[in-house]
Amino acid sequence: MVIEHMPERHSASVVLMFAGGSRLEDERLAGVSHFIEHLYFKGTERRPSSKEIADAIEGVGGFINASTDKELTAYWARVPSEHMDLGLDVLFDIVANSRLDPADVERERMVILEELRMYQDQPQDYVQNLFEELIWPDHPLGRDIAGTEESVSRLNREDILEYADAHYRLPNLVIGAAGSLDEERTVVEVRQSLSLRSGLNGTTPALSPAQLTSPRVLVRRRDTEQAHICLGARALSYMHPDRHALDLLNTVLGEGMSSRLFLNIRERLGLAYDVHSFTQKHRDTGYVGVYIGVDPKKAVDAVNAVMGELRSLTESEIAPEELARAKEFTKGRLRLELETTNGVAFWLTYQELLLGGIKTIDEELALVEAVTSADVKRVADDVLSAPLQMAVIGPFARDSAFRLAIGA
Amino acid sequence: MESNGGSTSRRAAAERIRRAIALINAVADEAGDEEITPTEIAEAIRDCLELSEVDRAPNVRRYLGEALDAVSDGMPADFVAMTLYAALGALREGA
Repeated sequence: MVIEHMPERHSASVVLMFAGGSRLEDERLAGVSHFIEHLYFKGTERRPSSKEIADAIEGVGGFINASTDKELTAYWARVPSEHMDLGLDVLFDIVANSRLDPADVERERMVILEELRMYQDQPQDYVQNLFEELIWPDHPLGRDIAGTEESVSRLNREDILEYADAHYRLPNLVIGAAGSLDEERTVVEVRQSLSLRSGLNGTTPALSPAQLTSPRVLVRRRDTEQAHICLGARALSYMHPDRHALDLLNTVLGEGMSSRLFLNIRERLGLAYDVHSFTQKHRDTGYVGVYIGVDPKKAVDAVNAVMGELRSLTESEIAPEELARAKEFTKGRLRLELETTNGVAFWLTYQELLLGGIKTIDEELALVEAVTSADVKRVADDVLSAPLQMAVIGPFARDSAFRLAIGA
Repeated sequence: MESNGGSTSRRAAAERIRRAIALINAVADEAGDEEITPTEIAEAIRDCLELSEVDRAPNVRRYLGEALDAVSDGMPADFVAMTLYAALGALREGA
């Protein structure tokens, strides 16, 4: 358990973060972590319906929610600080005493299937899923967190109970709390009220994805008004010592309206309305990607222009003033993220669960500050020499021009 | 250092590609009184391929070749236009 006392705040936040997530699911169980997350809000013995769970927290003006990721599942509540005990009580109740009623399983299955279909109607999101399929082919990291229509249709209550029993155990859990709270009282409350089982049983280790050997293009033909494109390459994990250099590379390349992609592709060339870059990091892998939303006629031209920007990162070091701007951007975003008790609780819990130790914000900012232009170029040389992968959604009859653009 | 002749011929190549794009766009928009045939579009692309400038920047000739194939295969006009815009962009990149 990690606690940050923030006496000047009026709220307290608590996060229950479980190691796991969609990465640990085999093809048969794809989507089960996300399914469980939905079901845990459907009712417990003491609070038999979703309304009673929501009422308990919203009745004091608080918020309660959850999210499933590839390597973790988090349940959280933010409440006025005098109701911290209530926040803990409701969260402990849903993760330890959910009823998983068969009727709720069937109702929620329909909701999740609709959610999966909805993503396919949102090409800006769907293209990222396709891109991740290319980055991590035949691996759980390359699958939608919510699973597939086939797996969600097939999952039964026994699968769900078995998976929940294996993963919702104390060794898989980190609890984070931040805000105006009494630390000793919080620890006592956790010891007395949390009734998850200790010891692990039936969990499988996460397998690393296989190496990518060649660039690939995946085109999904859709009669969309815009083309939606994601291209990028495998990059660094969150354990890698160069991860901060990668973050700064990403900021220079495509985060915000002063990034190279925005200024050159959108403002100077007028090629795309939306162009930005992003990273994703996991324990042993990650990627850096670029999204382009573009008039279909300009799609390949825009890809070529992005390729030019990627090349320029490997051709010369970024200027000191550009690096300084990127550092201020990164440090500022981190500080803003930690404004809320919720942000602090997530920050601490995430570090403890995934990194196995906690850095203070000053230590983290010092690591960002220590990155040099040579570090960024070294990371660019390394990451951008990997085979590029590109997913495209748009009215395209064939992929040859796209393959030519990335040398696939 | 580039000579004036180089930039002039690059401008000429760009102009021919734009002319081919204009023909394609006219088809896509169903504009104009006269019907534009695939043969005319193919001819406009072949005009581009005749210029040696298209070999001075990477991939320009290959995009033009792709565009020509797309016309022969009856691909939609927007798709041909996209490939020609890629050729135009590659020419600009090579500048």
